[in-house]
Amino acid sequence: MEEQYYAMLHELQAVDFVLVELNLYLDTHPWDTMALQQFNEMAQKRQFLAAQFEQCYGPLLNFGHSASPHGWRWAMPPWPWQV
Amino acid sequence: MNQFRVYCPFIGPFDPCPPIREKVYSTPPNLFLGFQPPGLPQFNAHEALKLGTLWPALYSPYPGKQT
Repeated sequence: MEEQYYAMLHELQAVDFVLVELNLYLDTHPWDTMALQQFNEMAQKRQFLAAQFEQCYGPLLNFGHSASPHGWRWAMPPWPWQV
Repeated sequence: MNQFRVYCPFIGPFDPCPPIREKVYSTPPNLFLGFQPPGLPQFNAHEALKLGTLWPALYSPYPGKQT
């Protein structure tokens, strides 16, 4: 796969990790508005990155968590372990 | 910043196995932090992914085998 595929996936992975950390942090600090604002910004950014990725390379998730606009590409290679 | 400490267990004449002279144990920063204060400095997304935590204060690396 081309370089851009990995770059976009890496960016998405980084944003996802930040979201995980902030989520766990907010579990114990629900009153921290700064972290909450950062979390919401990151969530929006994640939505945008995921949509951008899916536009180019097909759905990330199945069972309706991702759209597959350009034909049914869920069961098509490349699979995660192939890339 | 080495987060590992060493203690030397007692070695007696009747030990069944060869003695282990130094035992090493890890003391990550979260032991000393208690309840995490808000507004700690953060890594950027890629660094956080690489280092395994969003906050430098909680960074606790797992060093490879020191040959």
